[in-house]
Amino acid sequence: MYIYRIMLFLVFGGYLLSPLLMSGWASPEVAWYRPFVIWGVLITLTLWLEQKRRLDER
Amino acid sequence: MSASLGGLLALGSGYLLLLFLVALAVERHWIPTRIARHPTVYTLALGVYASAWAIYGSLELAGNAGYGYLAYYLGVAGAFLLAPVLLVPIQRMTRTYQLASLADLFAFRFRSRWVGTLITLISLLAVLPLLALQVQTLGDTIHLVTGTASPALLALLFCALIALFAILFGARHTRLHARHDTLLAVIALESLIKLTAMLALGAFALFVVFDGPADLQAWLDGPGRAAQASVIQLDPAQWRTLLLLFFAAAFLMPHMFHITFAETLSRRTLLQAGWTLPLFLLLMALPVPLILWAAQRLGVDAAEIGPAYLAYGLSESLWLQGLVFIAGLAATSGTMIIISLALSGMILNHLVLVAHPPVDQPDLYRWLRWLRRALIVAVILGGWLFYRLVGVNHDLTTLGLAAFIGMAQCLPGMLALLYWPGANRKGMVSGLTAGVLVWLAGTWVPLLSDLPALVLLPPGLETLAGEPVWYVVTLVSLAANILTLILVSLITPTSAGEQAAAEACSVDAVIRPKRLPLVAGNGEEFKHHLARALGEEVAAREVDRALSDLGLSPLDGRPYALRRLRDRIQANLSGLMGPSVAQDIVDRHLPYRRGGLEPNDDIHFVESRLEAYRTRLTGLARELDGLRRYHRRMLTRLPVGLCAFGVDDELLMWNDALAELSGIDGSSVVGSRRDGLPAPWGELLGRVLLEQDDQLYKQPVTLAGTTRYLSLHKAELEADEEMRGGTVILVEDHSEMKWLEDELVHAARLASIGQLAAGVAHEIGNPVTGISSLAQNLRYDTDEPEVLETATQIQQLTERISRIVESLVGFAHGGRHVAGRAFAPVSLDTLTDEALHLIHLARSGEDIQYRNRCPAGLEVKGDAQRLLQVMVNLLGNARDASTPGSEVTIDAAPEGEWLHLTVTDQGHGIDERVRDHLFEPFTTTKPPGEGTGLGLPLVYSIIAEHGGQIDIDSPPPGELQGTRIHLWLPLNPEHGERTDEPDPDR
Repeated sequence: MYIYRIMLFLVFGGYLLSPLLMSGWASPEVAWYRPFVIWGVLITLTLWLEQKRRLDER
Repeated sequence: MSASLGGLLALGSGYLLLLFLVALAVERHWIPTRIARHPTVYTLALGVYASAWAIYGSLELAGNAGYGYLAYYLGVAGAFLLAPVLLVPIQRMTRTYQLASLADLFAFRFRSRWVGTLITLISLLAVLPLLALQVQTLGDTIHLVTGTASPALLALLFCALIALFAILFGARHTRLHARHDTLLAVIALESLIKLTAMLALGAFALFVVFDGPADLQAWLDGPGRAAQASVIQLDPAQWRTLLLLFFAAAFLMPHMFHITFAETLSRRTLLQAGWTLPLFLLLMALPVPLILWAAQRLGVDAAEIGPAYLAYGLSESLWLQGLVFIAGLAATSGTMIIISLALSGMILNHLVLVAHPPVDQPDLYRWLRWLRRALIVAVILGGWLFYRLVGVNHDLTTLGLAAFIGMAQCLPGMLALLYWPGANRKGMVSGLTAGVLVWLAGTWVPLLSDLPALVLLPPGLETLAGEPVWYVVTLVSLAANILTLILVSLITPTSAGEQAAAEACSVDAVIRPKRLPLVAGNGEEFKHHLARALGEEVAAREVDRALSDLGLSPLDGRPYALRRLRDRIQANLSGLMGPSVAQDIVDRHLPYRRGGLEPNDDIHFVESRLEAYRTRLTGLARELDGLRRYHRRMLTRLPVGLCAFGVDDELLMWNDALAELSGIDGSSVVGSRRDGLPAPWGELLGRVLLEQDDQLYKQPVTLAGTTRYLSLHKAELEADEEMRGGTVILVEDHSEMKWLEDELVHAARLASIGQLAAGVAHEIGNPVTGISSLAQNLRYDTDEPEVLETATQIQQLTERISRIVESLVGFAHGGRHVAGRAFAPVSLDTLTDEALHLIHLARSGEDIQYRNRCPAGLEVKGDAQRLLQVMVNLLGNARDASTPGSEVTIDAAPEGEWLHLTVTDQGHGIDERVRDHLFEPFTTTKPPGEGTGLGLPLVYSIIAEHGGQIDIDSPPPGELQGTRIHLWLPLNPEHGERTDEPDPDR
């Protein structure tokens, strides 16, 4: 259940903060691929949580 | 754009032919099943979400709203990240109740066929613009690449091929809720093709149009900056609204619901999709800005070829344009196939079958199959018509958003379904109607006419007046929907059936199914009842299928089993023709019996469900379940028989000890009514249930041919609001105690006989003494040899009577050696001769041959009279065991200080079961009434008094039958020969 709470936190936190992602479209200070890197980190985190959940249920 | 029409047609047709071939290869198992069923295939099949919007619409949106296009991908990624709390509960419900579509789920939860119909109509209206969008991209790209004047007709040709494919590989089975390996494999292949094409286009943009990432960044910082600056970014509220729309689309859109839930896949695979699908979408989204920027750098005129089709402007190369076309066709065909399959099922179950129930159809399965095929064609044709009549006048974003806002109207209902059991049908229908009306006025009016959106802004929301229409419509429609749902649900009552369904659907469900008795008494009667609705053949097939699913026998009459069978049949029929029709048929033809007691909770079912979901419990629930299992194990492993009945006499528990005692496995009787239990249990337990006292002692019961004595104790379980009522019964086996008691009574009777005998012996003693004295006198009074002989014999016989009486008295006093009698040398041959003489006096056993092979001159030291008793006993036993004409032999030989004497017969031998107990009192091999079971214990006792030993061989070594009794007695030390050493084992 704790893992699910982390996921809920991640998704709703991401939902609220996600407009920050869009500021980099034309900004020279920010690399164009930044949203994709953040997205990739999120996927890695989910993968890790999924592995943990599987161990928890074993 | 210079490709020929023929070339494009060949390319498109060739691609669709490839799909047919792959489908055929999967179906014929040319591709191994382990590959076709690999989790990756499922993940890729979920990529059906990436429709033509992902290939073309995203480019259009990226050009208009910058990173706003990512909402399409991130929304669905968010939904799949929440798979454990959002998608898995939906999957559990759809699988348990065989629900194949959103309409099925809503109709099940809100217990109304009209809810299913409403959801189907909304899905149809919402999906038409999405289908039109797919067809439009086909028509637009055909026109763009070939310049033909009639792209719509060519698009229709592709639509026909897609419909053919859907019919051939998606509508072959009647049931919607089944895994279609072929279809999944083809959709997965299409996703792979889309992904490869998009990555190739991205790589072309990055490394051919730009000179790598550094060049791209330099362009963005320099010449491209002006173009990017002109992009109007979505404000945060709009962005979040867009995210919400695509989040809802992830599980509400008919094609997504179908792939995610109707294709029966494992929970593990669904959880895996929580990160694999977002990864797929990331790779699909990554090339979009690259293609856009490359087109901008090349100066492609978006106004000329359309902002959605900029990828065609990257190069004049036919290869590259072919690649873009194939990516678009893959996206379009996959989406259209799955949408048509999903929607045809919904229309069939919630419109057609509701209007025309399938009663008395001669071949129900065939009828359903053909109806579904016709509906697939109708849905795809509907999409094409919508494109021709409406879609051509609008851009992709408008069409797509109209579809997504429409489906999002089901989101409040879906969340209530999962998380709010208080929501009711009236609330859901009112909310949905309010939301849909706003949606129709706000999006369909501008789509179908030149009129602007008709949205009345409520007080407080006037500030939205200048915002984009899609944003305003979304906010107002969802707000109206949610508020109406909550208010109406709170002020209107909820029916009991709806409440039960709400609990079954709720994530934190406390499911308490009831134990209701059914009118039908077994599987065969189910067939008979259902035949009225489905026809005999279909009814028999459906009942047999449900029986086979549950592993039940057609004659199983347990109420518990019948309830499970009814549920399974309803679920299976739901997969065939939707939950509304299935529920109608089952309610009408497999009704519950009315009247009687208030139904109780089906705790056995609750327990079996808890067992199945055990690994999913967490936290406190898991702790409590652990405690429940511990207590249950204590009852199950209790070394005393235990069973429990509900107030309706249904058996709820039958523990291991009782299963061992009765020879009846718990799983075969739990859930039965008491009177349905095998004999003698139904009657016996019924007696204790009716008994005023709480126990029945030592009830004789015949189990496996043996009479056993059972004591039963019961305790009533008082029912209240929290606790269920019933009775718990303990069953103790008191058979051994009863047997011991019987033996004690027998022994007491013998003891009293012994005391009687002692009295009789005393009374006999006086006349015998008189007889002996008279015989003595007779000897003195005569010299006649014959009279003397007679007198001597009378004296000998009176002496024997005295000894027998003495022994009887001795036995009555515990079989002890009579005090004062000293051991004296006893001649063995005299002893055996005398014993044989006495045996011959008996009337029985006259035709048995006795052979005395004792050598003369052997003597032992002992009590001649008691040793004679030993010999008489042993020879008597040998005689009784022997058959007429057989032989009894007495052998003797000295062994060291011992005399080894054997008595061997050729009789039936001694049963193995009593051999070890032969020297215990009351053990006998003789028929009842013939043996007391005291002879051999007496022998054992006398031999022990003499310091000897006794043993038995039955049969003797080297023989097939018979018995040999071995005696070892101490040799008289003043006499006899010492030959060899005694056997140390003796």
